[in-house]
Amino acid sequence: MEAAKALALRTFADARVRMISFALLFFGYALANAAGYKKAYPTLADRLGFAQSFGNNSAVRLFYGTPHHLETLGGYASWRVGGIASLAAAFFGAFAAVRALRSEEETGRFELVASGAITRRAAFVARLAAIGATIVVLWLAALLGLAAGGLPAGGSAYLALAIVSVAAVYAGIGALASQLIPSGAGALELAGAVLGLDLLLRVVADTANHPGLHWLMPLGWVEELRAFTGARPLVLLLPLAASVALLLIALAIERRRDIGVAVFAPHDTAGRPRLLLLRSPGLLALRSQALSLTVWAAAAGGFALVLGVLAQTVATSNLPANLRQQLDKFGGGRLETAASVIGLYFLFFVLAIALFCCSQIGAARGEEAEGRLETLFALPQSRSAWLAGRLGLAVAGAALIAIVAGLGTAIGAAAAGADLSFLRLIEAGLNTLPASLLVLGVGALLVAVAPRLGVGAAYGLVSLAFLWELAGGLLGVPGWLLGISPFHQIGLVPAASFRAGPALVMLAIGAAAAAAALTRFRGRDLVGA
Amino acid sequence: MTAHPASSAAAAICTEGLTKRYGQTLAVDRLDLCVPPGEVYGFLGPNGAGKTTTIRMLLGLHRPSAGSAALFGIDAWRDPVAAHRQAAYVSGEPTLWPQLTAEETLTFLARMHGSVDADYRQALVQRFELELNKKIRALSKGNRQKVQLIAALATRAGLLILDEPTSGLDPLMEVAFRESVREAKARGQAVFLSSHILSEVEALCDRVGILRQGRLVDEGTLDQLRHLSAETIEVTFAGKAPEIASLDGIKIERAGANTLRCAVSGSVAPLLTALMGAASGAGTEVVALRSREPSLEEIFLHYYGEAADGSR
Repeated sequence: MEAAKALALRTFADARVRMISFALLFFGYALANAAGYKKAYPTLADRLGFAQSFGNNSAVRLFYGTPHHLETLGGYASWRVGGIASLAAAFFGAFAAVRALRSEEETGRFELVASGAITRRAAFVARLAAIGATIVVLWLAALLGLAAGGLPAGGSAYLALAIVSVAAVYAGIGALASQLIPSGAGALELAGAVLGLDLLLRVVADTANHPGLHWLMPLGWVEELRAFTGARPLVLLLPLAASVALLLIALAIERRRDIGVAVFAPHDTAGRPRLLLLRSPGLLALRSQALSLTVWAAAAGGFALVLGVLAQTVATSNLPANLRQQLDKFGGGRLETAASVIGLYFLFFVLAIALFCCSQIGAARGEEAEGRLETLFALPQSRSAWLAGRLGLAVAGAALIAIVAGLGTAIGAAAAGADLSFLRLIEAGLNTLPASLLVLGVGALLVAVAPRLGVGAAYGLVSLAFLWELAGGLLGVPGWLLGISPFHQIGLVPAASFRAGPALVMLAIGAAAAAAALTRFRGRDLVGA
Repeated sequence: MTAHPASSAAAAICTEGLTKRYGQTLAVDRLDLCVPPGEVYGFLGPNGAGKTTTIRMLLGLHRPSAGSAALFGIDAWRDPVAAHRQAAYVSGEPTLWPQLTAEETLTFLARMHGSVDADYRQALVQRFELELNKKIRALSKGNRQKVQLIAALATRAGLLILDEPTSGLDPLMEVAFRESVREAKARGQAVFLSSHILSEVEALCDRVGILRQGRLVDEGTLDQLRHLSAETIEVTFAGKAPEIASLDGIKIERAGANTLRCAVSGSVAPLLTALMGAASGAGTEVVALRSREPSLEEIFLHYYGEAADGSR
């Protein structure tokens, strides 16, 4: 019991920075949206107009889900906060479980824990209990944010519960993935693939009018919980049953398997050495990142395909004037044509590719944290060349994902018979790069200056910039202040034209940051984990 | 690159006032080391003395707060790539790429170093009985250490920097390791060996340096260190050994019912006088006097003991 308690506290302490960051994010996003709605739509007439124009527009449902009763603050919050926050909650749950269960085992630390006076079952329960506690903190943060934005406490608690129910289910998915895959990165990619499928199903359900699909996956359940708009608390049984079932299966496997081993174990011996991609550290990095890169590109391609297919059908010709005004508050998109729908939603590809850049910075930092760079730099290998190689790989990966996104959209659009220029869609893909590469350069500089904090800071900056773009317009923030977010500086190709000026500025800042990173990295000590 | 060709006259390792501070902590304090080509240098010190920090500065992985380190005359921080062409390193914590097999790792490391004696590497693989087709993640610490050792030895670099290279090896492999170090020395390679295995250092090293709290407290050949250190004399009495207080320069402690162990620095005359007096006083006599040189372990414990006592 003593050991279980100590393990639970250790797991909780390990998650505290991540938990606090997400809690602040949940609180701030909930508060900003609730407050923003009241500010943007002060009268009932405003709200009815907003609800009429938005309620029937399938293009805006693409990533937020189906709205209900947008003329009420609760209906709005449920749609807008629930739709985005549940995605973040899913990531939080999966990451927390994989980190506590698989990564600790991968590093060998869990062997030490399991040799203590604790059963495998108790250790599993203790770590999951700690994750549960972090999820409770997120629930409180979302609740407080909504309540502070003027929503009733009971309804806020229910909506917050709907959001974090996703975290619980994904903690189960992460726990199961940790039993299946022997590496933390691999387990996280598997959980990410499930999340991608979940989101894809939600998009199809909301935009192609197949609400039945909602019942299949956790993100759909959040919508069916209908916070503030005819709540259906019985639906909570679905995430509850799913988390319990997933955790029980994971525990059953955990108790039966050897430590360090997973259900899908790759071979530990190779028949014949594969000497490909061993010529330089950069090529070795490509070799180790190939799978991850494939997963990212495939996910981007899949979403792009769906976006391309749907773009034509969700576009609304004769957009009412009031909807145009509303859309301005959402970052200046127009949804009258397939091209404008695509232009707006490519902002999400910017986000995805920027996050990919952060993940590459994280992988490079991992080489340093785990000590492999000491091995490498004790050889006649230059630090600058190594970092330049890693950044080059990230640029190439980002470009690949960007082109696949453009290509996927083009294929989808062509299949749906939309009249869109192929080259313009490839351009839309490439248009995501300046902002993403800005993130890459700044991320590299952050890691060069503050090795232990840099990766988290890079992810944090991207999240803040994106939320600023989403919520800033609603809060009536002046344009110049909105403009500090790189997302605000992007021309919405293919509907709008490419904005060369801001793109060049972003690329220049990114390059300058990368150059500074190279200098700083050359001039500092290597820092372990 | 400011590489200038390493002159054969330059020392394999030369540090001048090498110092490293981490915030308030002084990890390495004005270290002056010189290891000529062909010498095997043993680098000893208790845990936390600054051995690994020194090695990190020798390799240009950490930046000296003051002073400098040069390998074959090439500054390790300013021009690490050129310096590393002359050196090969084995870390105490063998961190390699888990997804590669041992053979792939050897290939990668050889390519990264740029020079490899493939035949010798093959011989080393057999000598250390390394399984080439296993992935690094499936290897034990000792086996990963073998991979690093083989890669380093096969470069035939002029300087081998070894940080506790045998901490995971079994006794048979320890023999193979010693054989390999002797081969390297015979070829004129210098070896910088940080180790806690004193028998290994005693067997291999020409000179030894002892590091304590970041400072080099003693340095020399084993013989020189022995002379500096106390001689051990074991005194056996016919009956129960009498109590004798320690004298100036002579430390006396009980080593058994009839035996005293005396550590003598300087003349033995006061000890003999004291022994005779005590023996006759206790009605017994000295039946045996055994003198021997201190082992490296005793020399070392002498310094460790001071480190543990702190202020002394």
